[in-house]
Amino acid sequence: MKVLVTVKPVADHNTPASEWMALQKKERANVNFIPNEFDLIAVEQALRLRDSGADDICLVSVTTEEHLPHLRTALAMGADRGIVVDPGQRHLDWHQIAVALKFVVEKEKPDIVLMGKQATDDDACQVASMLAGMLDWPQATFVSRMDVAPAGDQVTVERETDDGIDVLRVTLPAVISCDLRLNEPRYPTLPNLMRSRKIPLEVYQYSQLPVPDEPNVEVDSYELPLGRNGVITYAADADELVAILKERKLID
Amino acid sequence: MKILVAIDVHETRTKPAARAAIRFAQDVVQKTSGSFSIALVGNRINEAVAAVNGFGAEAIYLLDDPQLAGHLAQPTTTALVHLQRQHNFNLLVAPDSTTARDYLPRLAGVLSAGMCRGVCEAVTRPEGLCYKRNVFSGMVTRWERITSPLQIVSVEATAVGEPRKGTDAEAIPLKLNLPSDARTTFIETRRAHSQRPDLAVAECVVGAGRGIKSAEAMSKVEELTDKLGAALGATRAVVDAGWMPNEYQIGQTGKSIAPKLYLAIGISGAVQHVAGIRAARTIVAVNKDAEAPLLRVADIAVIGDLGKIVPRMLELL
Repeated sequence: MKVLVTVKPVADHNTPASEWMALQKKERANVNFIPNEFDLIAVEQALRLRDSGADDICLVSVTTEEHLPHLRTALAMGADRGIVVDPGQRHLDWHQIAVALKFVVEKEKPDIVLMGKQATDDDACQVASMLAGMLDWPQATFVSRMDVAPAGDQVTVERETDDGIDVLRVTLPAVISCDLRLNEPRYPTLPNLMRSRKIPLEVYQYSQLPVPDEPNVEVDSYELPLGRNGVITYAADADELVAILKERKLID
Repeated sequence: MKILVAIDVHETRTKPAARAAIRFAQDVVQKTSGSFSIALVGNRINEAVAAVNGFGAEAIYLLDDPQLAGHLAQPTTTALVHLQRQHNFNLLVAPDSTTARDYLPRLAGVLSAGMCRGVCEAVTRPEGLCYKRNVFSGMVTRWERITSPLQIVSVEATAVGEPRKGTDAEAIPLKLNLPSDARTTFIETRRAHSQRPDLAVAECVVGAGRGIKSAEAMSKVEELTDKLGAALGATRAVVDAGWMPNEYQIGQTGKSIAPKLYLAIGISGAVQHVAGIRAARTIVAVNKDAEAPLLRVADIAVIGDLGKIVPRMLELL
């Protein structure tokens, strides 16, 4: 079984909003990158498929050269190889990223594509479903449990929804997006970290692929959201709290 | 602009967020001229027409088919592609939900359309419509513009008001006869039936965080929730620990809420959680830690032992 897993480097959550905005505008910014949390869950799930016959686990990242160490960290969890699509100076939108991934999928012909349910930087939650639609493959998003059929041709999944859990069975090949409670990603061991440095990466330049030149979505501008008023009223105890809530007519 | 509002119908009902999507379409019509229609998507959906009628839509299309009962992404996409090919809408709007997050980008992929998820507001600028979204856990606001001929957006319900009254529209059933796709089988939906109000629209929400350390303390928090007639929510830590089901999770990857009163009990206030509560009118922090990050966004706080504060509140209410 061939598994393709997508990995996106994102700014960690301790990055101040101003630095993150500078980064988006391609200005000098002091940002610590980490692999997207949900993508590591996807990598972990791929590794757990080894018992179901996954013998080729390939990570793919649409990212520039300076972020390759993050792909290496994910590789060190135990994947076999990596592919990079380098966008160069372009700011790709989700449609362009999905088309680039479609190119890789058609070349690699995996049985399953595992992705994080969303990236924690732009919170778009689009690329997995978009890719499945472009490929005309089945999809299962926000998956919190996944069991492969003994024959290896279907997976039964539980999806987390606003109302509870949906259970689906999808025939492979399919795109699966992973939610938080699917698993707990392992940490790479030191020997694996050393080993991962030697894994060859296949690199494509976005500009040389049969992909759209122009994005469908452009960024107009960034702003810092209006803060809340910042004035906090302290109540000494439960009695005072209830009195304040009643006085402000927040409770009866 | 010619707009379609796509609304998923679950067991004959539309969700409250559908009203926000209609209001969003009304606002865009007001800014750009044009008109909007509504598509109801599901199985046996006739009873849902009343909930979306009377808001000035031009037509209400009924995408009614047994294949649409489970709201799977593939048949939903096929049905909407069919409608889009007939009418050539410029803008497709849906309420943001796990249903829309599943099928809407698939539709965008099939139609090569640009999409913005969780839009709070639209404004007209010289280059066209701009959509406001919260990104990076709500710490940054970004304005985005869609350049493809078809634009697709999902609407963040907590940021948009109620729809304005308007004329009634005719309901037009469409014959779809969707083929079944054997590659995906819907097996079941499991949900915890709760008597409490829906988190997404509740006027008062009680949130439970990691600071609640025992089952006994949790049952006190639930008691408080019911005494206030509130909805119950939780942080990721509480859901991960298996204390509450996933649909209770509030935050970046869970639900966004906009109550008048949010009572956060034992919640430290990680950015991922705060991303989901920014639209709350009044945030009350009940916490033992005076340095908790939640205090940066809270309006009222009481610092102390939850094991004493919550039972005392129960006595007073």
